[in-house]
Amino acid sequence: MTAPARALAAAPRRRRRQDRAGYLFLLPWFGGLLFMIVPFFASLYLAFTEYDLLTPPRWAGLDNFREMLGDALLHQSLKVTFIYTLVSVPLSLAVALGVAIVLDRGVRGLAVYRSVYYLPSLLGGSVAIVMLWRYLFGYDGIVNDALAWFGITGPAWTTDPDYALSTLILLHVWTFGAPMVIFLAGLRQIPAMYYEASAMDGASKWRQFRSITLPLLSPIIFFNLVQSLIASFQTFTQGYVLSNGSGGPADSTLFYNLYLYQKGFAEFDMGYASSMAWLLLMIIAGFTAINFLTARFWVFYDN
Amino acid sequence: MDDRHDGPRLDRRRLLGLAGLTGLAATLPACSRGFGGKGGDDGKIELNMVWWGDAQRAELTQKALDMFQAAHPGIRVRTEYQDSSPYKDKLAARFAAGDPPDLMAMRFDSLREYADRGTLLDLTPHPEMNQSGLTSSARALGTVGDKSFGVPSGLNTIGFIVDKGLTDKFGVAIPDGNTWSWDDFAAFAQQVTKASGGKVYGASIDAWTVANLLVFARQRGEDFFTADGRLGATAATVTAWYQLVADLRKAGGVPPAGFIDQNNGTSPAQSYLAKKSIASQIIPTNNLLGYNQACGGNLQLLRVPGETQGPRRGQSIDTPALWSIAASSRHPAEAVTLLNFLINDTEAAKVAGVTRGVPASRTVAETITSGLEPDNKRSSEFLAALQKEKLPESYPYPVGASKLTNILKTLTTEVEFGRMSPADAGKQFIAEAQKAIAP
Repeated sequence: MTAPARALAAAPRRRRRQDRAGYLFLLPWFGGLLFMIVPFFASLYLAFTEYDLLTPPRWAGLDNFREMLGDALLHQSLKVTFIYTLVSVPLSLAVALGVAIVLDRGVRGLAVYRSVYYLPSLLGGSVAIVMLWRYLFGYDGIVNDALAWFGITGPAWTTDPDYALSTLILLHVWTFGAPMVIFLAGLRQIPAMYYEASAMDGASKWRQFRSITLPLLSPIIFFNLVQSLIASFQTFTQGYVLSNGSGGPADSTLFYNLYLYQKGFAEFDMGYASSMAWLLLMIIAGFTAINFLTARFWVFYDN
Repeated sequence: MDDRHDGPRLDRRRLLGLAGLTGLAATLPACSRGFGGKGGDDGKIELNMVWWGDAQRAELTQKALDMFQAAHPGIRVRTEYQDSSPYKDKLAARFAAGDPPDLMAMRFDSLREYADRGTLLDLTPHPEMNQSGLTSSARALGTVGDKSFGVPSGLNTIGFIVDKGLTDKFGVAIPDGNTWSWDDFAAFAQQVTKASGGKVYGASIDAWTVANLLVFARQRGEDFFTADGRLGATAATVTAWYQLVADLRKAGGVPPAGFIDQNNGTSPAQSYLAKKSIASQIIPTNNLLGYNQACGGNLQLLRVPGETQGPRRGQSIDTPALWSIAASSRHPAEAVTLLNFLINDTEAAKVAGVTRGVPASRTVAETITSGLEPDNKRSSEFLAALQKEKLPESYPYPVGASKLTNILKTLTTEVEFGRMSPADAGKQFIAEAQKAIAP
């Protein structure tokens, strides 16, 4: 057998071995799946029942979904979640891309910067950070103290219903590290020759960004967008910690999942909470579907 | 092309798969059970007892439980505790999972949520649970209809604490706490703010706390919740409550909008009083010791204003928490034995002190009062003095009442920032509250 022929014969074997390794890495996830299947179908059933946690569920048909139409707090929670998502996702992705491009230029000590920027996204959803945020942005917190130096009277960032959600959006944008690291990896994959060739043709930096970086990065942008949207619709911790579970001030941080939690565990209305979970699943599925459908018009695959 | 550099390209199919997987995994509901572990293998009966509180309360509780276990070698008590707000959610989850604790601390405003659904043991047919030391109003706290679903773990009421260190510094006299009116209180609060040059505000009224509004409603002759579990307060009363706070804010007696964070928590150390940004506030009396330690040791304990001016008294004898037993407990007899011990054993009460309020049994309370530290003694005597007077009774809150806190919180903010008038907020509160507690 000639050398190239041997290599050809070995390829499928190697692929099979790779596949096996892949499944091995997926194993914990499949293990976890087992624990999800039962609650998954249980919640589907409960969505059509009246269930107070303490007595057996009673079949209620579509009552829960009908009740949603007139539930002002549900509408408020949808409003909060949509505003939060539609503002914070594009903002944080833009910041992540911007910082990734700067870092990709070859900054000395890249690894340090990368870690420093990545850190907040590990901590951003944690209770401690939201608590810290509360102190920073408190009525007489550090932020307002700093503003006072410049003669500015800062608002009550976390207790004024007009500002509380913006403060949380700021917190979200601050956690741009996770998409940034993915952007960085994506930027590294764009062959330098494209830039060299276009530079020779006299293309400006902006032109290079628009005609080379953006199209070649579009699959990564797409991935980050889908990920961030899903995560953002499911925001819970930030609202819970900032308002101690109440969604306040004046329901201005009543995220959808926070309201769901209140319904299920504080108000003993688990049937309604389950139907809310399924509505959220449909909303997220809808947004993700729109993403995939429009992707063909703006996502460019290099192969 | 070099295979290695080509690497795992993100192509359409991979992306689709990835996004699909993460999406699916992310939207699946999470599931968690209560603590596992059932019984030991040494033949002892194991009781699970849960409650909320802090490490200090845990230490005191454990001392009492050690005494119980020494006296009842056949029973082991496995106890768990946590902070009050996660406790509430976890308790519901444990019932839902079919794994309720045997003995549990029960929030006063949640008793009927559980009792009305048949999940709690009726103590009436269990004479081993001796409630003869309790006054009828103390017993009423755990009574629904003619059944007894909980025994107060202790008794408390609310009181106004004033930082005398601050008022002395600014030369403001503290009014007579037994007779002061709401006008006296307003004048006092404004004086403090003025005398301090705006550095310290006279008071904060937690207008969103149902227990505070409840006392105010009683003073106006209304039962906030009626004995048969309905809403008895009127929109006019809620409006007057909001108006009182709004006027006081305008006059400078309480801090400006946004200053007080409703969700600051209940820890005395982190309170605005301990930070010296306000000079007075309402607290549950069993917390006097904690607040006095956090505030420098010069707190005065006053009654709620308006007790002698209205058509009737507002203050009542309440409980920070009830003890209840699960109806499905596998060891109801032993659980009752433990509960009876916690309520009636004088030695246990001596070590446990008044962390959960003044012992519900009067005989026990009288025995231990003399041995208490000064602050606890003071709050106990404050309560004892009230107990001797004719006060309205407290009834278990109706089902759905736990929703009222959030409603009150939201409307308080709306009024605070001038987004809603007190009159509109009063009307809306009644409308929403009636919906929340409708059967």
